[in-house]
Amino acid sequence: MNYISLMIAIPLIGAIISFFTRTRAQARMVALIASLVPLAISLQMYMGFDKTSKIMQFVESYTWIPSIGVKYTVGVDGIGLPLVLLSTIVSVLVIIYSWGEDKRPNQFFALLLLNEVGVLGVFTALDFFLFYIFWEIVLIPMFFLIGVWGGPRKDYAAIKFFIYTHVASLVMLLAIFALYFTYHMPDGSRTFDMLTLLQATADPKIFPPGLLNIIFAGLLLGFLVKMPAFPFHTWLPDAHVEAPTAGSVVLAALLLKMGGYGIFRVILPILPHVNKIFVTVIAIIAVLSIVYGAFLALAQKDLKKMVAYSSVSHMGFVTLGAVAFTWMSIQGAMFQQFSHGLITCVLFMSAGTIQHTVGTRVIGDLGGLADRMPKFAFLMLAGFLASLGLPGMSGFVAEFMVLTGSYATLPVFTMIVVFTSIAVTAGYHLWATQKVLFGPILKKYLQVHDAHSYELFSMSMIILLAILFGVRPNLITDIMGVAAYQVMGPVVTLTQMGVI
Amino acid sequence: MYADYAYLIVAMPVLAFVLCIFFGWHLPKGGGFFTVLATFGGLILSLGIFKEIYPDKIVHQSIPWFANFNVGILIDPLAIVMLLMVTFVVTLIHTYALGYMDGDPGAARYFAEAALFTAAMLGLIYSDNLLQLFIFWELVGLCSFLLIGFWYRKPSAAAAAKKAFLTTRVGDVLFLAALVLLYNNMASLNLALKPGEYLLQFPVIYAHIAQIPPTQLTFIALCLLGGAVGKSGQFPLHVWLPDAMEGPTTVSAMIHAATMVTAGVYLVARMFPLFYAAPNALTVVALIGAFTGLFAATMGLTAFDIKRVLAFSTVSQLGFMMAGLGVGAAVGVAAVGVSIFHLIGHSFFKALLFLCSGSVIHAVGTNDMREMGGVGKYMKWTAYTMLIGSLSLAGFPLFTGFFSKDEIIKIAYEYGVQINYLPYIMLICAATLTAIYTFRLWFVAFTGEPRSDYHKHESPWIMIGPLVLLAVFALGFGFFAQSGFYQYLDTNFEHYGVDFHALGVIGGHISEAGAAGGEGAGEPFIVKILPYIIAIGGILVAMLFYYWHKLDPGLVTSERDPIRRLLLKGYYQHEIFTAWFAETVVYGVAILFNLIDIKIVDGVLNKISEVTVGFGGNLRKVQTGVVQNYITAVVLGIVVLVIVIEIGMKVGL
Repeated sequence: MNYISLMIAIPLIGAIISFFTRTRAQARMVALIASLVPLAISLQMYMGFDKTSKIMQFVESYTWIPSIGVKYTVGVDGIGLPLVLLSTIVSVLVIIYSWGEDKRPNQFFALLLLNEVGVLGVFTALDFFLFYIFWEIVLIPMFFLIGVWGGPRKDYAAIKFFIYTHVASLVMLLAIFALYFTYHMPDGSRTFDMLTLLQATADPKIFPPGLLNIIFAGLLLGFLVKMPAFPFHTWLPDAHVEAPTAGSVVLAALLLKMGGYGIFRVILPILPHVNKIFVTVIAIIAVLSIVYGAFLALAQKDLKKMVAYSSVSHMGFVTLGAVAFTWMSIQGAMFQQFSHGLITCVLFMSAGTIQHTVGTRVIGDLGGLADRMPKFAFLMLAGFLASLGLPGMSGFVAEFMVLTGSYATLPVFTMIVVFTSIAVTAGYHLWATQKVLFGPILKKYLQVHDAHSYELFSMSMIILLAILFGVRPNLITDIMGVAAYQVMGPVVTLTQMGVI
Repeated sequence: MYADYAYLIVAMPVLAFVLCIFFGWHLPKGGGFFTVLATFGGLILSLGIFKEIYPDKIVHQSIPWFANFNVGILIDPLAIVMLLMVTFVVTLIHTYALGYMDGDPGAARYFAEAALFTAAMLGLIYSDNLLQLFIFWELVGLCSFLLIGFWYRKPSAAAAAKKAFLTTRVGDVLFLAALVLLYNNMASLNLALKPGEYLLQFPVIYAHIAQIPPTQLTFIALCLLGGAVGKSGQFPLHVWLPDAMEGPTTVSAMIHAATMVTAGVYLVARMFPLFYAAPNALTVVALIGAFTGLFAATMGLTAFDIKRVLAFSTVSQLGFMMAGLGVGAAVGVAAVGVSIFHLIGHSFFKALLFLCSGSVIHAVGTNDMREMGGVGKYMKWTAYTMLIGSLSLAGFPLFTGFFSKDEIIKIAYEYGVQINYLPYIMLICAATLTAIYTFRLWFVAFTGEPRSDYHKHESPWIMIGPLVLLAVFALGFGFFAQSGFYQYLDTNFEHYGVDFHALGVIGGHISEAGAAGGEGAGEPFIVKILPYIIAIGGILVAMLFYYWHKLDPGLVTSERDPIRRLLLKGYYQHEIFTAWFAETVVYGVAILFNLIDIKIVDGVLNKISEVTVGFGGNLRKVQTGVVQNYITAVVLGIVVLVIVIEIGMKVGL
């Protein structure tokens, strides 16, 4: 069974069909089906996945453009599979959450599906050329989601998003070219095969240290901008503030994860062979992202902007855990990707629901909504608690693993994070929820009704998943534990694995 | 046989939580009987387990969880006495709440959250590893947050809930740091663990304390202490506890007096071997505890809110327990028994006092003592059970509080002989003040003439019943249980073969050759009778002022008295912690970072794009909005890419 190709093709077909539907009912039904099928496939893959093996699984490889060594190669291992699962889950829930979208619904749902195609492609592609194409495809639906369905400053935000991440992608592309043009296969031909090129970076005869450092920096920039890490994060709040809710959810839950995925897939295998100064630089970037992001979140007046900065802070844990390079910390960083992907959905959905039921997101203008929106309040509170790292939910497990693991190699950086960010993180989450939900209901909101059932459904599913993975993290950390060993060891190509 | 079902002690209240939150809304009394039954079931199971393991067995079950961690149940003497106390007291409080919360539209939410709290508290007690303990620790904090803010429409309740969560969170940060430190120290020992053993399990920790460097031990112990200070309301993180009285009185009784706030003391007791081995750690514990004991008692003297007086009293008594553990530097592991005995005795009489005051508040409709007066005439049961509680708290001879507090003062004296007298002196002063403020409360509320027009009726039997049962324990528990209790708890660490002599050498409490200091045989007579004097004397002082009215409080203090104002303002902690530190310093840094972000980090970027002339403007023209154009662009892009590579290869890159 060509699981992965099928999983990528079905939302693509769904996007095309949805684009040509005439009514909202048709569009959303097509979208739902076209996203449920990949979910089913990814669950099937999870069930069939050999959790103890470091070998790439479900691999498909076809020659595509032989003249330049491009192949269509896809496959998943412990790094990719959790993110594939995350993508299919979030895509379904975001489509359900947007059930009531009435502005150009056919295009809206088509773009959400196209986005799913892109991220699934990124998380499964094993050929740099293919990887880059999917990486760029993702920009298109997001650019439109912001530019067409966005808020008042949508043009500025959309263009900033596009240019910023595109420039970073181009730098990454140049680095990929450098890898490509430097390495010859034994028979003299060239290849875009990811694992082959990454394996070759370990050989200083092929990649002299000076060259490798430059390549590494280029790749790193591409991924850090996407995550986004300090100081490349400023596109994110603007994009989020202007994006429609579904766009924000997808942006935070899936698009940012592409950056983290790149770190695990591409950066970490090269890290041991480049100048050691990079470790310190990345660690400083990680700590600044976490701490600075948390303080910035505290300073925001717009709920959505606060949530956007909280993403910067939380994604910093991914960078920290990755660069600390211990088994526990890498596993924790991978789990943080997964967990943040889930939890951030509820936060952006909460901000979105407040925006369209109440009409404002300014925290100071809100108050006492729990009175009129009890079900929504329950879910929003649960989401914010999950985000501040409440034990029993997935965010705690991830951050705990990152901190415990990172201390072994980066004790000072880890302790800075512990002492400066954790209490502040609790602070802005609680301050916002208390102001928005509790206290006496403001007179102007007496007519407000509770959120729509489809919104509540999506939010409660996420909460349930956050609890499930908080109580049984081993459902997915077992896979990540093997993947972490794999990341820390030498790269093994598909041929050496015996897959192709 | 009971031990096989130990997991049910947590599972049953979790089930009650689920039932209440989903079905409680349609059931009478919010489905509170689920919560009562679940907790009562826990009591029965705990009794069964106690019968099985007493006097010399422990229960230990464990399954793997994720990565290098496990979940498990460890029931040793320390845990079982806590389990028995919590299930017993909490069952009574839940029963009382059936009457107290009757008619509240949020009763289902109350009983759901109360059940969740019960589950988390019991889970905390019998965790077999520090990570699991931390998780339940945070969950009890969550429930405390939810229940303080139970009446969330009230701004003061919402603010108090937030304050409680954030203040304890500061302690939790330290606890988390301790976990990280301890894990990494244990990991770096490269232990050859047997299957089923994990680094953060208590037996494993106990066995390897001696191998961890002493300075690291002190760091770990102080960080753990930070967590305990936050949870148990010790100075300087005690500020949240008096505000926490915004919740329903049953919550104050259950969480903020009898059970959750004792978790910090329990943590220090649980990790006592580590504290004992860490140089200077216990000294810090003793000083913080004794200082808190005195400091909070002074504030208890001036408060007018009946629940705030009790809250300050709780803080003060928790200080006694902490000090009791801290002076273990001199008396060794016996301190754990002494301190935990006071913890348990305190939970009986403090739960009783809170429930009684709840009963009064229920009838009078205010928390302000100045509007009560003469309540005793109309609420006989409440008045006399509260009298028993007060006598116990004041340490009147033969009451529970006398036995437990007296013992702490006694070992503090031994500590004084060997190390320094400061904790002893502070505790003696605190005990005197305790007797005074307790009876100030009782006389002002229950005797004299009514000072406002309130409902003059006794509470229903469902509320009186628990009061009577608690009063029995507040009266007799100390007398009947003391010696057996100490013997039983002293065996606690023997199950793990902890060598306190070796640990004492590391911690600097015992010199290499000599044994621990001799028993306090040479106590002077005055030290022996001092507890009697301060308890009875304190009550007499209170009587002089508030019962016989021989003396007027105005003689000692006046409205303009700066000391009095200082006490009423709670030493201006609110102004310092909330207004200055949280709102000025932390928020100020946040605003500053925000400016930096807009002006510099993003500003530089905007400059670059301005310099890149018309870049944005040109791109805007490309944004036609026609999807076909974009797809064309993507396809074109790929073609160009392929061509570029082809050319690059031809050129021979």
